[in-house]
Amino acid sequence: MRKFLRTDWLGLAVLIVLGGAALGIARPEFLTPYSIDVILVGFSLTVVVALGQGIIIAIGHMNLALGAIGCLVAVAFGGSMQFWGFPTWAAVLFGLAIGLACGFVNGWLTHKSGLTSFIVTLATLSIFKGASLGITEAQSFDGISDAVKAFGSDRWGPLPETLLVAVPIVIATWLFLGKMIPGRQMLAYGGNPAAAELSGISRGRIVILAHTLSGLFAAIAGMMTVARLQIATPTIGDEWLIASFAAPVIGGAVLSGGHLPVIGTCLGVLVIALINQALVLLAVDPFYVQVLLGLLILAAVGANRLREARLGTGPKLRLS
Amino acid sequence: MSDAFVEVRGASKAFVGVQALDNVSLSVGRGQIHALLGENGAGKSTLIKILTGVHRPDAGEVLLEGTPRHFRAPRESIAAGIGVVHQERNLITRFSVAENITLEDPPTKFGLFDEAAAVVSTRKWLDLLHLDIDPRTIVSRLSVAQVQLVEIAKALSLESRFLLLDEPTSSLTPHETGTLFEVLRRLAADGVSILFVSHKLEEVLSLCTHVTVLRDGRNACESQSLAGMTRADIVRLMIGREEAMFAAPATSVRLATPALELVSVATSLGHRDVSLQAFHGEIFGLYGLIGAGRSELARAIMGAAKITGGELRIEGTPTRIRDVTDAVRRYGIGYVSEDRKGEGLILAHDIASNIAVTIWHRISRFLGFVSDGMQDRVAAPLARALDVRTPSLAQRVGNLSGGNQQKVSVAKWLAASSKILIIDEPTVGIDVRSKAYLHDLILRLSRDGAAVIVISSDMPELVALADRIGVMKDFRLVETFDNSRNYGASSARIMQAIHG
Repeated sequence: MRKFLRTDWLGLAVLIVLGGAALGIARPEFLTPYSIDVILVGFSLTVVVALGQGIIIAIGHMNLALGAIGCLVAVAFGGSMQFWGFPTWAAVLFGLAIGLACGFVNGWLTHKSGLTSFIVTLATLSIFKGASLGITEAQSFDGISDAVKAFGSDRWGPLPETLLVAVPIVIATWLFLGKMIPGRQMLAYGGNPAAAELSGISRGRIVILAHTLSGLFAAIAGMMTVARLQIATPTIGDEWLIASFAAPVIGGAVLSGGHLPVIGTCLGVLVIALINQALVLLAVDPFYVQVLLGLLILAAVGANRLREARLGTGPKLRLS
Repeated sequence: MSDAFVEVRGASKAFVGVQALDNVSLSVGRGQIHALLGENGAGKSTLIKILTGVHRPDAGEVLLEGTPRHFRAPRESIAAGIGVVHQERNLITRFSVAENITLEDPPTKFGLFDEAAAVVSTRKWLDLLHLDIDPRTIVSRLSVAQVQLVEIAKALSLESRFLLLDEPTSSLTPHETGTLFEVLRRLAADGVSILFVSHKLEEVLSLCTHVTVLRDGRNACESQSLAGMTRADIVRLMIGREEAMFAAPATSVRLATPALELVSVATSLGHRDVSLQAFHGEIFGLYGLIGAGRSELARAIMGAAKITGGELRIEGTPTRIRDVTDAVRRYGIGYVSEDRKGEGLILAHDIASNIAVTIWHRISRFLGFVSDGMQDRVAAPLARALDVRTPSLAQRVGNLSGGNQQKVSVAKWLAASSKILIIDEPTVGIDVRSKAYLHDLILRLSRDGAAVIVISSDMPELVALADRIGVMKDFRLVETFDNSRNYGASSARIMQAIHG
């Protein structure tokens, strides 16, 4: 397992370096500070989104409402500053609280109802999104504090400040899943729910914890997006869904749960950010980014499947 | 052997680095009931998969009535007249029994599935096995034994001239097994050839006429007549040496206070009036037919089901166990599930994690961190003590043999230093060598002070192991007695309790 984890993402890293080099040669402007900055900003937002989904994938669930939570938080974050005059710190706490609450509701409903997370989060997706649109009447809030605007546009040396939030989150997630008990328990539950429960791991706690954390990540990503856009609009989060699944899957995550390579997920995010930037530089219609992303998911799933087959751990051939 | 119906000649098959089969031959004559035996990992499964078209041999060939055949997919072997009952269940659980049995060739009327016709043709096969269920029943509502019999009925319904049965009796009662054997003998008399794979040697000796034994991927014997062979002869062929005779010595200690006591307990699962005591240093054996409520009782004790009446006492103190976490952490109760792969282990995770999962909360230090090193420190001595055969603790549990997986299942409760250990079917699907080892281990655990409850459908195992035996029937405990370890006496008493 540990050896397997180490080699999990090596191919991906090589691919990124080669792809980046090829692009740099074909389009020298790819390696300009401006271009790298765009990639890093994209990376820091998407990685939080991807880990927010990843932590749910780890237990074998899914969170379709990730973007809707991010949207609701963004709207509440902007609105609380514009209409209630919340200082920045209070607005941030308010946003985090809403994200945690939405995630908790997802987890609690999934646990108590016995329905799949797919159904529950499909329903809450609609609820959270509808609430965001209702509150804003589909308008944007621009009464964002200067501190938030500065965070979204300032640089810390050569690095965007958003990266200063993203990197600690990546490290924390890595430690959490790899070394901390609740994280280990989540992976154990994802690997085999029945065995984990019979080992004394509480199903309810795991499910609620994972969904709550996912809500927290969505909240952070939502507010980061507000900072970057300098405005809180109810369209935030709309395009998160595909990337949130694509990055972990490209990174080698097992969708049925039990295995979430954090470094792999980061590389998956990097791949997505690189592709976005490459297609911009190559002047490809941005809609084709989606097409390419879809193909990439298929390729990644295929590669995972091959690896599982080689290790002999894939689903067994069923005979009828 | 011109009369051979199915023949395998010099089959070899290698998987990444492992020679699973090495020049193996087998020949099943017409109307013969032929046993295929071997420990886990001896190559039986691979040979079966070659016969059923799942794998293609690297060398050698399969002949049907003297003609070489090259099956490229399971449906080709079925088309050639090979009927198979697989070890794993392969029914569509949301379909009815009739639909499942007629799945290959469903009867139709005006292009629609003709349920009435399917029911009629299905009932014939169910009757043959004395299986009294409505063919319209949805499979998911059947008991494990019924499902297994439906699988057998389905294979029979193909009216194949060659039947391959892989552990067909694993969930059956002795009575159901008897009925099945009568049917098989009748089929054999009609000229059907049967290949019978089983771990239960007593069954093989009573049913089969010929035997092929595999050991380490090679023939230990090939298509030999069973006449004159004893159980010991077969075991010697399987493991390459004599089987150590095992019977647990009687326990001398019985403390005044039982570690676990049930006083006329009723549960939400349907148990009524169950009273039992399990003492430290003692093995309590729980026997019963499939569906008697044994595993369900274990679940209720573990807090996974509600106790609705009576009293559960731990060390003499009336106790209410709220959930499994409570049972494991507060009261030190461990449960080794009968379903190793489904409920016991996390196959995709490594050995160390699987063993340490019960005690992460205890070994963690600062802020709840637990490192690989900390896990290994707990897991390594246990894996060594339990003789888990593995190059490294980082090995995935899914890659271990059944016997080694079971050792890991037990090891995790040793890590948790469980004081009360419930072991459900400790040796099901495990080879002879690991079986003896696990028996010895269970005995050692109890003599070291644990209260062990062993649930088993393997009567010889239970009689050899248990200090006292409880017999369950219809979610009640109908009999409890001190086990004399005399097989004749104890088994008679058990059968009396169930059928008398």
